[in-house]
Amino acid sequence: MHIFASAADTVKTESLKLVAEAWQQAWELYNKLGDTKKAKELEKLLAALYKKKYAQVKAANGQQSTVLEWFNDWLLFLKIGCFGFGGPMAVFSLLEAELVQRKRILTHDDFLEGAVLGDVLPGPVTMDIVTYTGYKLKKWSGAANSTLFFILPSFVLMVILAILYDMYRITPKVQNVFMCLGAAVVGLVVSVAIRLARTEMKDYRELCILIWAFASSLIFNLDIVVIVGLAGVVGIVLYHKDSEKEQL
Amino acid sequence: MISTLFKLSWVFLKIGAFTFGGGIVIIPMVQNEVVFKYGWLTQAEFVDAVTLGQVTPGPIIISATFIGYKACGILGAVVATASVILPSFVMICLATEAIKRFRENKMLANFLRGARVAVIGMVFDAAVCLGRTSLVDIKTVLIAAASIICLFKYKLNPIWVLLGAGVVGLLM
Repeated sequence: MHIFASAADTVKTESLKLVAEAWQQAWELYNKLGDTKKAKELEKLLAALYKKKYAQVKAANGQQSTVLEWFNDWLLFLKIGCFGFGGPMAVFSLLEAELVQRKRILTHDDFLEGAVLGDVLPGPVTMDIVTYTGYKLKKWSGAANSTLFFILPSFVLMVILAILYDMYRITPKVQNVFMCLGAAVVGLVVSVAIRLARTEMKDYRELCILIWAFASSLIFNLDIVVIVGLAGVVGIVLYHKDSEKEQL
Repeated sequence: MISTLFKLSWVFLKIGAFTFGGGIVIIPMVQNEVVFKYGWLTQAEFVDAVTLGQVTPGPIIISATFIGYKACGILGAVVATASVILPSFVMICLATEAIKRFRENKMLANFLRGARVAVIGMVFDAAVCLGRTSLVDIKTVLIAAASIICLFKYKLNPIWVLLGAGVVGLLM
């Protein structure tokens, strides 16, 4: 029985792999041809497929390697927790690069929605985005996992610094060491921003919203909640006609 | 001791639940409670706590760990950190589930569509703001340029890029 079950599973994963490869090629082709709508649909399908594969590989591996899989999951967030410099959008870029561009478990849209939620709901935005990602991957247990392991490195470091501070009454010069990391984070954020703008911009209306959001936060220092909320309202007004057309 | 822990937990639950936006915005509120109302930290210690929160990885709210430690030792650090995260954790999980359920709603879909684009604008904005504070000399500008090339052209894993930059920072 067991042999049969595992054999079926390998066949399934094999065929999934084939389908994934075919879709991947189609996706690249569509992108080359400039048919962004089709490409986007495929991207969504691919994400679902990869997620299925991710779950299935996990199920197929069974008990012997659940420890290893679990280890992989939290290692990812531990890694990102160690390098989460530079505020919410830097962490956002890091997660985006890892989960959307490399592993393809989530789509661009999933991610941007997480950031919207984080900005609109109270609480620190960085934590919101991390929790959201975990929840998307594996519901409550995923969310608990991601939050816990994301915060762990900074928590430990902070406790150590606090103990040092109490003993010597000084703040160690960690700042110098982290300066170069800050510069690399700038590069990361820039590259993710450009990539996102490229894939998400469909017409001039979206470009207008983007430029407006950018300018109002940079020049007028408007609050994030206000900007994202207003853009949402603008979206309701702008796309109202579109969705009516689609219904007809 | 127990009562301090309860007070700590209450203060940080409040801060976690009622502050919008991220980063620096919450600092005045924390200062009000922690320095003026309960006197767990002096003003100078509070400034140091915020500075440490900024230079270490993770969100700036991690200064809660420091404040908790100063007020009540290791246990205080654990309680403060958990309390500040908990409200947004619960809210995000519930909201994600709700979005899934109401995806068919056209209003919500259009709202999200507009707001998503604004978020890309915010990412650009973050790049400019970070650049202003981090790119201070030739060395840092070079590192930023090199990391853009590595990420764009060679599609390197960002973790390696950051690690490389950290090593460069240690050596120089």
